[in-house]
Amino acid sequence: MKLLDVEIEENVKIANDIFLLSFESEYLAENFKPGNFVNILIDKESIYPLLRRPFSISFVEGKRVYIGYKLVGKGTKLLSQKSKGEAIDILGPLGNSFLTDTFDGKVAVIGGGVGIFPLLGLCKELKNRGNKVDVFLGFRDLNSMFLVERFEDICDNTLIATDDGCRGYKGSVVELFKANVSKEEYKVVFCCGPKPMLKAIKNLNLPVKCYASLEEKMACGIGACLCCSIKGKDDKMYHACSDGPVFDIMEVEIE
Amino acid sequence: MNLEVEIAGIKLKNPVIAASGTFGFGREYSKLIDISEFGAICTKGITLKKRNGNPQPRLCEVYAGIINSVGLENPGVEAFINDELPFLKGFDTKIIANINGFTKEEFVELTRILTSLVDMIEVNLSCPNVKEGGMVFGKDPKKVYEITKSVKNVASCPIIVKLTPNVTDITQLAIAAEDAGADAISLINTVSAMAIDIETRKPLIKMVTGGLSGPAIKPIAVRMVYECFKKVRIPIIGMGGIMNYKDAIEFFIAGATAIQIGTVNFINPKAVCEIKEGIEAYLERKGFSSIKELVSSINI
Ligand SMILES: Cc1cc2nc3c(=O)[nH]c(=O)nc-3n(C[C@H](O)[C@H](O)[C@H](O)COP(=O)(O)OP(=O)(O)OC[C@H]3O[C@@H](n4cnc5c(N)ncnc54)[C@H](O)[C@@H]3O)c2cc1C
Ligand SMILES: Cc1cc2nc3c(=O)[nH]c(=O)nc-3n(C[C@H](O)[C@H](O)[C@H](O)COP(=O)(O)O)c2cc1C
Ligand code: FES
Repeated sequence: MKLLDVEIEENVKIANDIFLLSFESEYLAENFKPGNFVNILIDKESIYPLLRRPFSISFVEGKRVYIGYKLVGKGTKLLSQKSKGEAIDILGPLGNSFLTDTFDGKVAVIGGGVGIFPLLGLCKELKNRGNKVDVFLGFRDLNSMFLVERFEDICDNTLIATDDGCRGYKGSVVELFKANVSKEEYKVVFCCGPKPMLKAIKNLNLPVKCYASLEEKMACGIGACLCCSIKGKDDKMYHACSDGPVFDIMEVEIE
Repeated sequence: MNLEVEIAGIKLKNPVIAASGTFGFGREYSKLIDISEFGAICTKGITLKKRNGNPQPRLCEVYAGIINSVGLENPGVEAFINDELPFLKGFDTKIIANINGFTKEEFVELTRILTSLVDMIEVNLSCPNVKEGGMVFGKDPKKVYEITKSVKNVASCPIIVKLTPNVTDITQLAIAAEDAGADAISLINTVSAMAIDIETRKPLIKMVTGGLSGPAIKPIAVRMVYECFKKVRIPIIGMGGIMNYKDAIEFFIAGATAIQIGTVNFINPKAVCEIKEGIEAYLERKGFSSIKELVSSINI
């Protein structure tokens, strides 16, 4: 992890309220592992927003690092107003990775909303390692869909669920996954998305290992402030920023 | 320029201290900066037994500050001594252990255990995020006196008493600490605060209220340092919302001998270096020959 000053290459709207930002950083690109995130200081002089904002590294192409984000509040609004050539202060790469082992075989990857972003880098790496990858993506509607073609390019199967049924399965991505999981023999499952989605996946009690990337409000992003604690089994405390963000879904409480 | 300061006979090579709870046990930040840059490092609050702290969410951001309710999550004193202290001792900086008890006896016990192992002990009588001990003691001058006195009885290292701003008159606490033999006081801990999500009408912190830190509390902290300086002779360590060297200078002028930096570490891990350089340049620019001359140099 390092503090880096980078220059924005591109910061474009790719769906309703969704942006894709990129910059060049050899260091980040070389050290990136799928699941890692960065802490962006959006405006050095600002006292509101005050804290850095955590965003997953979505994927990397050569030296170019991509981050996708959704407009939520003040910080992401300010970020969306930055244009090519402007500098941003980045701390990263932070956190652990989805991939600690090699999985030889077929893998399921499930994402919902902005939780989809970090999964693109994951799918790329899974394919590089020779796995078969089925990805399940959940969106609200047509206007909130993003990066689908990129997943289609990489993955063996890209299955879509939308709340309004405008594309793919009508309903939740977890239901879509459930309908398929009985037919397939996945070796491992990876997921990232809103807490209710992750909870639903946990409740499936899958017979294989399932790893989820979790979000908590973060101040330091490196394990010092203890703001982002997550309760684990046997009274163990984990920190989303430094022990995570990726956890074995059965080892942690998802509230 | 000599930035050295002295607190109860302990020499700090510079007056910038990492504030408790914002720097862990130094391990994480040591990967980003040379933590020997600090005059001293104040550890995450330590209790006798391991604590898990409060439920999530524990953090929210407000205008110019953050509210936290971590609730003293820590591995307990034994794990601190075995797993963290040896690492911290590897750096050229002083170590201050921040201790938290739920009874007077616990404060005494922690002091007994730690007194010969660290350079100083900061007795936290001001944590707003626990139901017993902490701020509950720290709001009552009699309790501050009683606990400080008991701790001093078993201490061989200097004792700093950390005060809460959540009272009508902080100087009474400062006086009580001094009367009981405290070697220094530090102020301020976080300010009791609350924020509400107007869409869900839920508090943004699970515990409903938490402690506010960051730039929002700086003017309150400066005022309290100023008031306490007029009432006590022991050194004051000032903190609350210091983001840069200018903020730090204000605290010295108001009467602080040293300062702690907390929330800014999360935003700018290099703040310690920038603040030190800034203080040095300021002293030179203003013709001071040491930082001591700046302390309580207010022009009224
Ligand atoms: C490890 C991690 C990875 C993330 N990756 C992405 C990503 O790839 N794309 C994306 O769009 N979003 C991601 N998020 C969520 C993103 O951090 C928040 O949406 C963002 O901080 C909101 O900032 P804001 O100022 O616009 O919102 P505000 O509501 O104004 O934020 C207020 C405060 O809450 C914090 N905050 C708000 N929402 C979250 C949240 N969900 N998680 C953590 N802190 C939050 C902010 O940092 C800030 O301190 C990630 C969060 C974490 C913890
Ligand atoms: C996340 C967090 C955890 C804290 N934990 C402690 C603690 O364990 N013990 C303590 O005495 N103060 C604790 N504090 C208070 C700080 O040491 C400091 O008094 C306060 O944050 C004001 O300074 P600042 O505005 O520079 O952050 C904590 C503050 C924060 C933000
Ligand atoms: S954000 Fe500070 S410990 Fe995780």
